Amino acid sequence: MKKLVFFIYAFALVILWCSCEKRVNIEIAYDGDKLVMNTFIQPDSLIYVRVTRSVPVSVYDETAFKEEAGAQVNIAASDGSVLPVVLQTIAGRRFFVSGMPAKAGLQYNISAASSGLQAVSAYDTLPAAPQARDGSAQKSSTRIKFILKDHPGTGNYYRLRVFTVENNAAKSALLFRLDPAFNNNLIDIIANGNSTSLIMDDSRFDGRELTFVLQTQDPINQSDSLMVEVTALTHNAWSYLRTVALQQGNSGVIVSEPIRVFSNVLNGYGIVAGINTKQLVFKVD
Amino acid sequence: MSLTGRLLTVLFLLSLPLQVLGWDWQTKVTVVVQHQSLQTVCELLEKNYGIHFSYSRDLVNLSRKVTVTVHNQRLKTVLEDLFAPDNIKFTRVGDLLVLLPDNRTTRTINGYVKDAATGERLPGATIWSPTLKQGTVTNQYGFFSFTTTKDTSSVVVSFIGYQPQWQQFPQNDRTIEISLESTTHLKEVVVSGTEGNNLQNQTQMSKVNISSAAVNKTPRLLGDADLIRTLQAIPGVSGGMDGVSGLHVRGGSPDQNLILLDGSPIFNFSHFFGIFSLINPDVVKSTDLYKGAFPARFGGRLSSVVDITLKDGDMKNYHGDAAIGLISTKFDLEGPIIKDKTSFIVSARRSYPDLVYNSLIRLEDDEKNEADLSAYFYDINAKVNHIFSPKDRLYLSFYTGEDKMNLHLDSTSIPDTAKINMISSGFDVSWGNTIGALRWNHIYGPRLFSNISLNYSTYSFSTQIGYKYILPAANELIDQVGTYRSRMEIAGVRADFDYRPSPDHGVRFGTAVNIHDFKPSMSTFADKTGSVTPLDTMANGPQNTAAEMLLYIEDEWQLTPSFFVNVGIHASGFLVSGKLYHSLQPRLGLRYMLPKNWAFKAAYTQMNQYIHLLSNYGTSLPTDIWVPATDRVAPMSSRQVALGIAKTSNRQVYEFTLEGYYKNMHNMIELRDPMGFITPDLLRWEDQVSVGRGWSYGGEVMVAKKKGNTTGWIGYTLSWSTRRFADINGGKIFPYKYDHRHDVEVVFNQVLSKNWDFSASWRFTTGSPMTLPVASYEGIETGSPWDPVSGPGNSIDRYGNRYNYRTENSHRLDIGINWTKQRPKWSRTWNFSVINVYNHKNPFYYYVKRDDEAKQRYLSKVVILPILPSVTYSVKF
Repeated sequence: MKKLVFFIYAFALVILWCSCEKRVNIEIAYDGDKLVMNTFIQPDSLIYVRVTRSVPVSVYDETAFKEEAGAQVNIAASDGSVLPVVLQTIAGRRFFVSGMPAKAGLQYNISAASSGLQAVSAYDTLPAAPQARDGSAQKSSTRIKFILKDHPGTGNYYRLRVFTVENNAAKSALLFRLDPAFNNNLIDIIANGNSTSLIMDDSRFDGRELTFVLQTQDPINQSDSLMVEVTALTHNAWSYLRTVALQQGNSGVIVSEPIRVFSNVLNGYGIVAGINTKQLVFKVD
Repeated sequence: MSLTGRLLTVLFLLSLPLQVLGWDWQTKVTVVVQHQSLQTVCELLEKNYGIHFSYSRDLVNLSRKVTVTVHNQRLKTVLEDLFAPDNIKFTRVGDLLVLLPDNRTTRTINGYVKDAATGERLPGATIWSPTLKQGTVTNQYGFFSFTTTKDTSSVVVSFIGYQPQWQQFPQNDRTIEISLESTTHLKEVVVSGTEGNNLQNQTQMSKVNISSAAVNKTPRLLGDADLIRTLQAIPGVSGGMDGVSGLHVRGGSPDQNLILLDGSPIFNFSHFFGIFSLINPDVVKSTDLYKGAFPARFGGRLSSVVDITLKDGDMKNYHGDAAIGLISTKFDLEGPIIKDKTSFIVSARRSYPDLVYNSLIRLEDDEKNEADLSAYFYDINAKVNHIFSPKDRLYLSFYTGEDKMNLHLDSTSIPDTAKINMISSGFDVSWGNTIGALRWNHIYGPRLFSNISLNYSTYSFSTQIGYKYILPAANELIDQVGTYRSRMEIAGVRADFDYRPSPDHGVRFGTAVNIHDFKPSMSTFADKTGSVTPLDTMANGPQNTAAEMLLYIEDEWQLTPSFFVNVGIHASGFLVSGKLYHSLQPRLGLRYMLPKNWAFKAAYTQMNQYIHLLSNYGTSLPTDIWVPATDRVAPMSSRQVALGIAKTSNRQVYEFTLEGYYKNMHNMIELRDPMGFITPDLLRWEDQVSVGRGWSYGGEVMVAKKKGNTTGWIGYTLSWSTRRFADINGGKIFPYKYDHRHDVEVVFNQVLSKNWDFSASWRFTTGSPMTLPVASYEGIETGSPWDPVSGPGNSIDRYGNRYNYRTENSHRLDIGINWTKQRPKWSRTWNFSVINVYNHKNPFYYYVKRDDEAKQRYLSKVVILPILPSVTYSVKF
């Protein structure tokens, strides 16, 4: 009798949960080639502008994003200055690099044009530097602490990343999450997931100085030193990074509405946004 | 009769002391006379109770001989019985009881219609005078009041599924109970021509009644008959994604449905993530679905009312059902507590995939630790009712239902000193409704009926997660527990009155006060081993208490022999956070009789909804959160116009309806960005939604066969439903997520023989809107190519206009066959059902797949409902 029950039940469950997947022969239309302009502008750093071209959704190979080496890129600051731009190849990829660093307190307007494509433009300001200090961690532990003082009264946005450090250089990114007791996001506990970056706003700690506790996926054994990178973001940068993370987390499933990645580039795609990074390098105790 | 005999027959008994000092209508009197004139009775009352009668012999004739035997009865009742046949009315003037001729030309009969076998009262039964072409319908409590010409002595009483019968009226206008015999108890089904149930005799349009039998006849998914799945086969109702018990009525969203269980609202009407309805269909007496033309007594939602009436319980005999299917088992039992006075019904249902799962398959994690899995739903119904008197009846009903899932894992492996080791982890999630109602039905007189009710309904979602990890090398213990809860409550008192002042008017009026309590998104965290104080350990969403008040009145009015109106108004107010929202919502229904018994109908309704649902996915999920209207997000409102024609054929075999509608909706909300399933910080939800408008319009046709061995219906819907939000899709109009242009439903039931019956349903739906990306492009992660981790940016999909594509058309054939063996005292039934007989791969959802093997990206669809057979065994006793 038990075998019969098993058979009936297993049959039904197999049928039910054998939800199948099938390729659909719908050609996904392409909106046509558009210029893609990407840059995060860091104060006191040169501006690296990447200009590429969009591709149809069906294109599998990510390296197919064609660089627009012949594009005309202009970088203008709100003080009226125009920054010289040169094309450089760095680590095999081409960037339009400003001839002088960006200055805090200015707004930058960047435009790009390439033959046969509609010219694009975007602008953003630069955020103040984050007030982060006192990074610490213990060997064989999973917790990293640092203190962050938030600027009061304004909406502030941050990205956190953690790297191992060898020979005074960051080597590899660690998988981590904000200790769930610190961001009150139950889904973090449920998912028990870790990532290489955390995007957040200051709605839970506006104007406060507090100790952040990060929880690494694995015990800290790899390195004598660690680096916590705290990056202040403009609203544009935060919107972009947050929606990129959501789109990737959604894995293309469109049972819900798809996540639209924020873009402030007029007539094209991409992002031009200000960031301000502070790196806390410290010895592991 | 001799003089001696006459003298001997005059008996007078006085059981109470003589009340010569005064009397009132409640005075208990005892009168026993045989074949004496009314005048003699009056003299006796005067002599023994000091009641002085005053009347004119020219106007009032008291010569009729009567035989009376009453003991300790109310004076008024005795007088009503004495004088009603002679049309004599009486009134008190000082200490005199004045008799006057009653010149009324009408009479009012009132009472209840009930099932002869069980005593169950029958809502929607028709009382019809074929000669006068007049009639009325019992209300949802089975009560009727029929005012007709004075010489009307009998009517036809009918109800679908019951043998129509001629009912003789009593001479006086007292409360009567009419018993109808179910045709299922008869060997032969007799179809009799009565016109009362005909669609052309009802001003109400856009309404469909679903009987419990209709639900149970439909093919079953995993062995369970389902109410909402049956409603989805009605024109104008869409189910959303394939296999889900969604309810999208005339382009409205699921939060715009007012679902009432014995008058109490339900906030989430599904089990198992929307696969099954909340309620065991075996305890449902009837269900009315209003798609539009809402009567004034309903309010609070924009798009539909699903009014579910549960069985009251058999007043005469004990009986019940028990069934076992693939996914659940259930039983119900009903019977008298005091025969013909008090009855009860109780039912329970539990699903058990977890029991089989745990016994057959064990879950293991990567470390081979075994997990205890529990995943099931249950629901329990209980109802008791008591008849205090022919005019008073009390109902007490209770429902609770819950979905629960638990997963607990305890480590059995030896800790690795260099790694993080799990000691234990646990995850519990549950959600469900609890509903209670106390109702009192009272008849004040032949023309006035009331239902006073106290209602309570709550929906809650709760989850708890905890884990313990140990890191031996650092002597670090991680012991954290988090909880998240969300709750919505409503409690209220409601009074509904049904007043039938004349044959041309049927007035309903009432009032209600409801208190809403919103406690969304309450979370707590405890880090038992942490040394640093976290940000905070508890976060709450916007908690609110709101008061809702309403008043309504409606009149079913016959203006001319062929022109009828139902005019009403629903006034309501909603007080929340010190702000009062209010609205006046007119309701109008018109009916004009066309030649050949066709009725032309029209309706205009305005509706208001003071609560919004924060939902990510356009279909009901347990984590959805209700929030009240605020300064920035005003209450929703809608206006709907409907036109149509309807007719029931002469022998009530066929029904035909054709309706068109146009509805606009204001102050709807939509999330700009998905918030995630569980969002702890809801305090700024107003910043995350866009407020906009919606429109829906279309036409529905339905041809139904209601009687005979072959029954069923064919329905077709042509519809459009669109939305516009300032911050979404660039402010341009876009279709509603479940905007289907064409819907076809065919429902077929066939009695094959004494033991066998067959059912089938086929539905076809054109594709739903979906949004596909229009390009891909390179993203960026860092500001400088010299940054620590820098490389090619992620590939990003670019989305253009919302809903730039439509999914494939869906269609599915479901069949079911019942074999029933009737025994003298019980019966047993085997049901075999097959869902999606020809295994059509209807899409559940689509996504753009990155196929690393084929090195391609393409659109892929996921199908969750392939061909799915099931079997259910049930016994009925």
